[in-house]
Parts: sequence; C-alpha cells; structure tokens
Amino acid sequence: MLSAVVKQVTLDEPGQREVTRLCVQAALTLLQHGAESALVESVARRLGVALGVESVEVAIMANAVTVTTLSGGQCVTTVRRNEDRGINMHVVTEVQRTMLDLEDGRLDRAGVAERLGAIRHFRHPRWLVALGIGLSCACFAALQKGDLRTCAVVFVASMLAMVVRQLFAPLHFNPLVTFFAAAFVATSVAAAAVLLELGATAKIAMASSVLLLVPGFPLINGVSDMVKGYINTGISRLVFALMLATATCGGILLGMAVWNTWGWS
Amino acid sequence: MNLLLALAQDMALASVPAVGFALVFNVPSRMLGYCAMGGAVGHGLRFLLVSEPVRMPIEWATLLAAAVVSLIGVQLARRLRAHPKVFTVAAMIPMVPGVPFFSALLAIVEINREGLTDALLQTAINSGLRALFIIGALAVGLAIPGLLFYRRRPVV
Repeated sequence: MLSAVVKQVTLDEPGQREVTRLCVQAALTLLQHGAESALVESVARRLGVALGVESVEVAIMANAVTVTTLSGGQCVTTVRRNEDRGINMHVVTEVQRTMLDLEDGRLDRAGVAERLGAIRHFRHPRWLVALGIGLSCACFAALQKGDLRTCAVVFVASMLAMVVRQLFAPLHFNPLVTFFAAAFVATSVAAAAVLLELGATAKIAMASSVLLLVPGFPLINGVSDMVKGYINTGISRLVFALMLATATCGGILLGMAVWNTWGWS
Repeated sequence: MNLLLALAQDMALASVPAVGFALVFNVPSRMLGYCAMGGAVGHGLRFLLVSEPVRMPIEWATLLAAAVVSLIGVQLARRLRAHPKVFTVAAMIPMVPGVPFFSALLAIVEINREGLTDALLQTAINSGLRALFIIGALAVGLAIPGLLFYRRRPVV
C-alpha cells in the first residue's frame, strides 16, 4: 500500500509544509461548502496522518480555520480565512473521496494535491433548481391541505423567488439582502393572487411560498455542531440562520404592507 | 385502508421537497433518489407516529423518524463513499418547521409594532418553542448513529 510506504519515511520540512497546506486546503474547502465541524476535523486529521505526519490538530472558528501538523518533533501551523461559498454537497463528497482514496493507497501526495486542486463547483442547471423549488413549495402547500389553486399560486411565487436568488447570487450581495428581496417577491406574488381572487387560501399561499427561504441546513448543522461539542461554530451557524430568517421576515412584512394583504395574521 | 392512502399521499408529497432542496444543496445527481427516499420514509414515519393509533407528540415522532433515516443513511454512506449528511440533511427538509418558525418571528415583530397582546404573545411563544424543539429533534435524531453505535470510529 502506498500510504504505508509514505508512513515509513519521516517527512522533511518542505514535505511537512506541503502536507500541512493540503490538510488546511481540505478543511477550508469543507468548511466553505457547508460541512459540519466534526467532519471538517476528522477529514483533515485522517488526511494528514495518511500523508505521513504523526498528528494533526484542527481549530475551527466561524471565519477561519487553523491546522497544526506534528512530525519528528517539529510543528507547522497555518491559518486560512473562511468565506462562505454556499452549500455544495458535491464538493464535500469530492474532498471526502480524495481522503478515502488516499487511505486505500490509490493516491500519493502529488495525487491528493492534484485532486483537491481540480475540484470544480458542480451546480445543477438553474432552470431545474427553480422548477424543483417551485414544486417543493407547492407540495408544502398541499401538505398543509391547500387546494389545487393555492398550490399553483405557491408554485409560481416560490419559483420566481428562487429566480431572484439565482439572479442576485453572481452580483455578490450579502445573503441577507438576497433573502429579503426573495421574500418580498414571493409574498408579493401570493398577495397579488389573493387580491385578484384567484381562489388561493391567503394564509397557506403566503406561508408556503416563502418556505424556500427557511435556512434548514445551517439550523440543523448548528444544532449538530453543538451536540458534538463544537459550541462556538454551532452558535455562529445558528445566529446566522436566525439573521437570514429575520431578513426574510422583513421581506414578508414589506410585501404584506405594500399590497395591504395581511395573510399571516 | 384510509390511513394507508393518506400515508402514501404524505410520503409522495414529502419526497418532492427533499429532492427540490437537494438540488439547491448541489447533492450529486446519483444520490437524489436516496434523498427522495429518505424524505418519504422520514415524513411518512412521523405521519404514522402522530396519527390515530399511536398519537405520539410531534417532537418525539420527529426524533424517531430522523434517527431511522439517519440509520439507513449510514448503511448507504458506506456504499456511496460519502458522508451520510450529504443526503440525509436534504431528506430532513420536509420535516423542518418553517411555518411555525416564521410565525414566531412575525409575531415578535407585530408585538413591537402594536404592543403586547395575549394572542400575539401566545403565537410567538407557542410557535417559537415548537420550531425550536422540532429542529433540535431533527439534529439530534440525525446524530443518533454517531451517539450510540459509531462512538469512536468514523462512519465512512
């Protein structure tokens, strides 16, 4: 096995530096794309050990990650700033598979560097995502016993809100702005349908059409982190999720005030 | 028979949001089917547990449903060579209490604007607590395999 061969040779200093860089690259990539802290730490550790250092210590903060490797009595420490790149499970899977391939001996250090560098940001086609979200929110309306007309209104409203999110994404707005705008658009479409008397139930239509903006992933990740002892990252994830939800509420309120349709109350 | 029909409808409706949100999370295409399955199994199981013969409180039902999906996810994760959260979080999305969550926040805004009334306070606290406990149940449920069976070894 390749990894066994690597382990027998004590790393020289440039080698240890390179291993440290690979570990922090893997950790940062995972953190940027929505992996929970426990996974970030375990992948960085296993990657480093398989690459021949004695141990890897990882400290995760909300907007930075620190990695220290130990080898032959020498420590190498490095910090990387973390910017959120949006949830991308494809990237998380690729990093994890790189680590697994290394552990199975199918990759060496150069191979890992190449694989990590070659990870591309795979995205599903935009029209498919918008369509999927429209259908999802329509199903949420159906689960709340909404009739067919209500579901149709929710489909259009949430699909347009998703299109707004997709249009704002390349412009690098703060996500809070994006969520505010998307909530306003969704609520406006639902309110317009109520005003035009298209036969939609106001409460269900307005509530379901903003459900694409519930920050479900950060909420679950936040609680998960805290359950596993990463209280700091857990709190920051939960606070950010709460801020996104508050921005969404602002958009809903503006929408209801503009159209004077108070479907929620 | 009526219950079975309602269950089938519930599961079918829940599988769609699981896939829809999986698309937003950029879950790899070949795992989308597992997201749909997880969403249907989780929401369907919770539906069974809260309805007539069992009548379990929704928080406990959510915890059980999330734990079952997570246990299935752990088995699949080995085969797919991917962390189970990659597809189980998307499967949890149909159970996320979005409406109570926003209701609570909107009620708080309303209290600020119009002053405190019993009705608003009740909505804020009841919906807020419901959302809080269900989200906690989802996250803890997903962590169950790690807490009980994979204590000192990684799943994948």
